[in-house]
Amino acid sequence: MAKEPEYIIVNIDTPRKYNWSTGKYLGHVYAEAKENKKLVGNKCPKCKAIMWGPTIVCPKCKVETGWEWEELPETGTVTQYTYLVFPLWDPHYGERWANPHPSGTILLENGVYQRHFLEETDPEKLKVGMRVQAVWKEDYDERGLGMQDVPYYRTIEE
Amino acid sequence: MAERVGIVAVAQTKYHPNRCDVNEEELSWEAIKPVLEETGLSLWDIESAVTCSQDFWEGRTISNMNIQHVVGAHLQHEDKVCEDGLNAVYVAMAQILSGHYDVVLVESHMKESQGEKSAIENAAFDPAMLRVLGLDYTSSAAMQAKRYMYKYGITAEQLAKVAVRNHANAKNNPFAQDAKGITLEDVLGSKMVSSPIRALDTKPISDGACAMILANEKTAKKLSKNPIWIMGVSNCYETHYLGDRELADCDALAKAAQKAYKMAGIKNALREIDVAEITTEYSYQEALWLEGLGLCAKGEGGRMVESKAVSMGGKLPLNPSGGVLPGVPNGVAGASRVAEAVLQLRGEAGERQVKGAKTALAHGYTGICGQHQAVMVLGNS
Repeated sequence: MAKEPEYIIVNIDTPRKYNWSTGKYLGHVYAEAKENKKLVGNKCPKCKAIMWGPTIVCPKCKVETGWEWEELPETGTVTQYTYLVFPLWDPHYGERWANPHPSGTILLENGVYQRHFLEETDPEKLKVGMRVQAVWKEDYDERGLGMQDVPYYRTIEE
Repeated sequence: MAERVGIVAVAQTKYHPNRCDVNEEELSWEAIKPVLEETGLSLWDIESAVTCSQDFWEGRTISNMNIQHVVGAHLQHEDKVCEDGLNAVYVAMAQILSGHYDVVLVESHMKESQGEKSAIENAAFDPAMLRVLGLDYTSSAAMQAKRYMYKYGITAEQLAKVAVRNHANAKNNPFAQDAKGITLEDVLGSKMVSSPIRALDTKPISDGACAMILANEKTAKKLSKNPIWIMGVSNCYETHYLGDRELADCDALAKAAQKAYKMAGIKNALREIDVAEITTEYSYQEALWLEGLGLCAKGEGGRMVESKAVSMGGKLPLNPSGGVLPGVPNGVAGASRVAEAVLQLRGEAGERQVKGAKTALAHGYTGICGQHQAVMVLGNS
């Protein structure tokens, strides 16, 4: 019987630190979340859509936006979701988050599509059309990571 | 070239050691907005965008994804070049010559302040033979500098004069990062980084962006009173492993230059080129690249960089902007050389203007010891 070939694999496990500047517009999201427990988006002067994430140019209208801000509604409706069954990477610290992680797209009342985790972990209870509400980190000192200051959206009965 | 491609607008940010006030899209927009305003175009008029950025420096995979909207690429053509910015200009030119597009935006940006320079550069080396030695661009450049100095008897003093002249020129450049001015003693007394390269023989960490708009001849004449024409361009790669090439020579640059000159109809580069902006991240490179560019004979670069010929008012003013040594990000360097060449040829270079410049050379390179070289010749008639 032929011998199995041996493949040599070198493990390259070097972390490379990176400091990312949020910039002016996304920085405002971090500041408002930390200070006022608000998620805010800036408005396109042409189509009036709320930029989420906030940005200096409206991708669809191709015009400069500006500094007119609107708070995102706390509640919305799930339009699509997935039930992540594999562990996720923490994007900042490189650790693995335990599974499962239901995540979805939530249509907020002002027409913004928010993408976020859902608190509900029972796959049978996850539904398109379910109503959800933002859950905030209440402790000021725990906030400061922008959208992660809302860890997930919770199912609500209306 | 059968058809000509014109550069109708250029803009640069002021280069800065740490633009922590903006993210990549905002930094890019600082350069893009002025070229739109100058031409009267909107992002809707941009038929294609060629961007230049590098994933490791950007801290994300596919580094162009976060700037698609500021280059007008929503439901529109976009390509990324992750080498030097001059290659983005080259690709934009080729897109226009292909007949696909009339107007193309070029955008190049980099924030070196956000990453770990040495670690990022080390990742450019092959994992088995060179990365394990801990090499980065500076330590490998130091070997090239040593070899070059040894082979041709180039002195540290000669090379220090490169830094002094470029920093002095930078005083006339409003986009320059560091325009304090330095002396020969400052350079020779600065901290040794990797022998023979001292701190002032190299450039500081820098953030910045550069943008320009290219158009076919007919459109360029409508968009600008004085479009600047790309007369010739080429790039050339050579082997990765240090030791497989004679580092004291630069064959890839020589080949790229000769091809660009031929395309531009240049027979005697030193006589026909009025001003040159070349990418020099280390002082020895200016001398060595002059040889590769055919602007002096092999081994003569040391003498040329200390001659009056390359000073303002000389036969071939070199880097009137101060070039890259006072601080321009690695990935933006070549694009900013093109932008500076355009300003010279339009007579809009202010205090750093070379009088009557008609033909300019712009140069950029990517990678270890100038592994990939790009040369562009531009003209205003």
